[in-house]
Amino acid sequence: GDNRSSSRSSADLVAYKNINDLPPPREMMIQIDQKNEAVLLPINGSMVPFHVAFIRTVTSQQDTNRTCYIRIIFNVPGTPFSSHDPNSVKFQGSIYLKEASFRSKDPRHSSEVVQSIKALRRQVVARESERAERAT
Amino acid sequence: MADGHQFNNITLGGRGGTNTGQMKIYSEGILWRRQGGGKLIEVDKSDIMGVTWMKVPRTNQLGVQIKDGLFYKFTGFRDQDVASLTTFFQNTFGIIVEEKQLSVTGRNWGEVDLNGNMLAFMVGSKQAFEVSLADVAQTQLQGKNDVILEFHVDDTTGANEKDSLMEMSFHIPNSNTQFIGDENHP
Repeated sequence: GDNRSSSRSSADLVAYKNINDLPPPREMMIQIDQKNEAVLLPINGSMVPFHVAFIRTVTSQQDTNRTCYIRIIFNVPGTPFSSHDPNSVKFQGSIYLKEASFRSKDPRHSSEVVQSIKALRRQVVARESERAERAT
Repeated sequence: MADGHQFNNITLGGRGGTNTGQMKIYSEGILWRRQGGGKLIEVDKSDIMGVTWMKVPRTNQLGVQIKDGLFYKFTGFRDQDVASLTTFFQNTFGIIVEEKQLSVTGRNWGEVDLNGNMLAFMVGSKQAFEVSLADVAQTQLQGKNDVILEFHVDDTTGANEKDSLMEMSFHIPNSNTQFIGDENHP
């Protein structure tokens, strides 16, 4: 929303404030929650949210058996374009989830996932960098 | 009757997705039976190492850790079930139930906790997710700072999830001191 302070860094972005704000559990598959700017990943029988701003890239691949692979790479310190991120200083000593790869049974779903994560990410990153620029 | 509690629509979570079934928690232990037959989980009270509660979206999750290191997660308990079962576990099994909290902030940085067979990713003392090391086929060190976990791919039974986790990696910056000299961690 627009009531957020412009002085915060992107590290302060939060996907959900309350547990019950998460979308109702559906099928165990990657879901995108546009409203909360979150990507939900099925990990060990639970849907685990990640804010889209912390995702760096997402790709998909299809092998000869029409099995699809979705690969999500997150921001970690020390990668290009993230060195200025106050994150890495603020949370020094943290361990980062860097990558999660999934095998998908549904080629159409997997290309939709990749497209919508990319679009949502672009939108959020553009907004955040604009906000950061205005703040300086 | 006084001996035990029975619940319908309790899902067992884990690798391969979830299954719904019926659960009985009684003086001898815990019993879960998959709806329509098939899988049966029976835990004798003497094999229960620890029990946890966690609030998850719209419901509650019961975690049961057993002696061989396995950790079962049962979801679908109402708030009032939590209260009565906590008393039951304490009085009947002599087990104090531990409360865990779920992180939903969406951050990808935090701490890694190893407990028995479980690797938990914690964000600010709350748990974001956990995976069972029993599901890990291989671990690899990439460069100096990255640890890759490759998971077993289950092509056979029970897998009712559309997207299955195959691999995940953690980045451990040099500034992290948690795993220096820790033999449990590659």
